[in-house]
Amino acid sequence: MVDDILEVKNLSVDFGGQKILNDLSFAVKKGELVAIIGPNGSGKSTLFKAILDLIDYQGEVKVFGQKVRENYKQIGYVPQRFSFDKGFPLTVGEFLNFSSDKKNKKRINFVLTEVDMDKQQDKLLGQLSGGQLQRVLIARALLNEPKLLLLDEPTAGIDLEGEHDFYQIIEHQNKRHAMTILMISHEVNMVYGFASQVLCLNRDLFCFGHPKEVVTKEVMEKLYGQKVKLTPHSHLH
Amino acid sequence: MDLSIFQFPFMQRALIAGIILAALLALLGVFVMLKKMTFFADGIAHASLGGIALGLLLSFNPLIVALLASLVFALIIYLVEKKYQFASDTTIGIIFTGGMSLGLILISFKSGYQPELISFLFGNILSVGLSELWLIGLASVLIYLIVWRYFKAFILLALDSETAEISGYKTHILQPVLYMLLSATVVLGIKILGIILVSGLLIIPVAVARLSAKSFKSFVIRSIIFAELIVLIGLVVSYYLDSPTGPVIVLVGIVIFILQAAWSSLLKRKIIK
Repeated sequence: MVDDILEVKNLSVDFGGQKILNDLSFAVKKGELVAIIGPNGSGKSTLFKAILDLIDYQGEVKVFGQKVRENYKQIGYVPQRFSFDKGFPLTVGEFLNFSSDKKNKKRINFVLTEVDMDKQQDKLLGQLSGGQLQRVLIARALLNEPKLLLLDEPTAGIDLEGEHDFYQIIEHQNKRHAMTILMISHEVNMVYGFASQVLCLNRDLFCFGHPKEVVTKEVMEKLYGQKVKLTPHSHLH
Repeated sequence: MDLSIFQFPFMQRALIAGIILAALLALLGVFVMLKKMTFFADGIAHASLGGIALGLLLSFNPLIVALLASLVFALIIYLVEKKYQFASDTTIGIIFTGGMSLGLILISFKSGYQPELISFLFGNILSVGLSELWLIGLASVLIYLIVWRYFKAFILLALDSETAEISGYKTHILQPVLYMLLSATVVLGIKILGIILVSGLLIIPVAVARLSAKSFKSFVIRSIIFAELIVLIGLVVSYYLDSPTGPVIVLVGIVIFILQAAWSSLLKRKIIK
């Protein structure tokens, strides 16, 4: 039985002679909801790409005690940007069908219901709002019944209502389905009410642990400079 | 419409080749539009002049040599793109001009007028011989089978290669295979439209279909139907006008595109009113 869902040891990433990530080590246990915070260019998305073995890195990354490629089926991933031709005739249902190697209409219906998009199956992808598209991308990430979900800035560019719906969906997946979730966020204050663990990143690992214990004024100032204002509250919504 | 023109064997061969290639070009055209690969197709078509010229010089079937050369070009584009992280249009630009230059130099070694070369530059579906028809038929069946078998994987790859990788597809194999299938299709299409115009049949039918399709499925089906219509009407019109077939096919496609665009705008206005 593997306790740690994700194990990262001495992870470093160089790109064009520049250090993007420097010697990160941490482990994530089952059922945790980890918020990854840090300023722009701090290597947050690179960390996800290294975890997913989509880029070259030094160090060791293990998912469920094995190499990540052996466990792709257990991972769901929502990328930061999903750019596509908005006029392309592709329905929500077809998009999910193409995204899974199995033909599973039942599962597609189920994941769309989970994100409250089941009535939009025949709608064209390009006609969705930012929030709706985000929910469809989450539904796609849930297709293979993943045990680990990676979300890269999932609320960027969506309105407040969409953001509210999004947090509810993620909380539901985490609590109801005991899904382990890693989420990159630009919302620093969100971590207090939402995440069970927080990872502060700026090329180096600045903090990792329970938000109330590790997110201190000093750490935030080190991470973001003097600009950040912390307003801790028990829950976001 | 008087279809008696199809009693001539050369017209029958043109018709069969046209039907096979129209569907194949439209099917691959779907990926071209999805992955924005128009320049790739155009680049391969022009680079294939190198293969055609080599075939002509060696007195070996130029279509086969061009087909093999295009597969090599596709692989080079993929490998350079991957190894040096170049934007694909840079690599394609190099292959495009390199292949063409090689072709022009090789042709200069052969003296005299080259009618075959002209037919490859501008296409001549009416000159399709029996052996070429067999080659087009067999190669097309092989391409259809591969596309059919990996259709979902190719679509996901074209849509979002990272997700394709995480979904467990071997993208480092699928990507070059897609490039090679597209290259082979383009070279086969040269027989109808020639190096210069072949992209027309890759792009125009899918562009017409996109104007009216409400789902991906209807988009693919419509693309193939429009491609067949364009080739059939083009063949007949070019016969009666006694005009070169390739350019007539392209112009027929553009007329259909304009009609469809006007019809779609009319429908939209009606819906809005």
